[in-house]
Amino acid sequence: MAKVSIPTPLRQFTEQKDTVEYAGATVGEVLNGLTGQFGGLRQHLFNDEGKLRNFVNIYLNDEDIRYLEKTDTAVSDSDTITIIPSIAGGLN
Amino acid sequence: MIRITEEAWQVMVDHAQRQYPNECCGAMLGVVRPEASRTAADAAASEKTIVVKEITRAVPLTNNYQGEQADRYEINPMDLMKTDKEAREEGLELIGIYHSHPDCDAYFSKTDLENSCPWYSFVVLSIQKGVFDHANSFLPNAEQTHAEPETLLIPTPKTA
Repeated sequence: MAKVSIPTPLRQFTEQKDTVEYAGATVGEVLNGLTGQFGGLRQHLFNDEGKLRNFVNIYLNDEDIRYLEKTDTAVSDSDTITIIPSIAGGLN
Repeated sequence: MIRITEEAWQVMVDHAQRQYPNECCGAMLGVVRPEASRTAADAAASEKTIVVKEITRAVPLTNNYQGEQADRYEINPMDLMKTDKEAREEGLELIGIYHSHPDCDAYFSKTDLENSCPWYSFVVLSIQKGVFDHANSFLPNAEQTHAEPETLLIPTPKTA
């Protein structure tokens, strides 16, 4: 079972749990397990087309899955998946 | 509504002024709780309670933007993850993000909106010629197309 670490603002959708565990061969499968149990999370992580929202970064341990195999990245039981927003800005 | 304690506010203003003429960025930690509304209009209407985000600690973060930082900022997600973890250990929540606009008003720009996240409050500090001028708070939507102004309460400046 891979661990998923939930950021504070989303814990209201996971019964206040900050870490949850799901079985799955890939990051996508684990995330499906998560949003399957906690339906309220889905719209916060995915857009209407089912793609991860722009501001949602998913890290497998210390690596951004964008630079791995995205949601097809393989997961093992000792892995931790972390959801972290991407934040930036500027004057214009 | 978001209210910032004097201690946290001082950290934010000092940070923004120190980083001038570059943009600074940081995290705001605190607690969210319901409170009885104090405005006369609300009190007359009903016994209305409002949700208040009370910021008790500000954490300056490194501006990770690779380029000219006078008009851009970027937060390293790993820094944010570390801050979120520290907040939980202290019994606080990561409630918002602050950043500065050097020699510009405290509006929420197109770049701010396109790189925002609806999970947090975004406080923008206007720093004019190196000195704090004014601040505003915003709540962006999930589509990154609109940011709603949020009532921001900051400590009254002390007179010398």
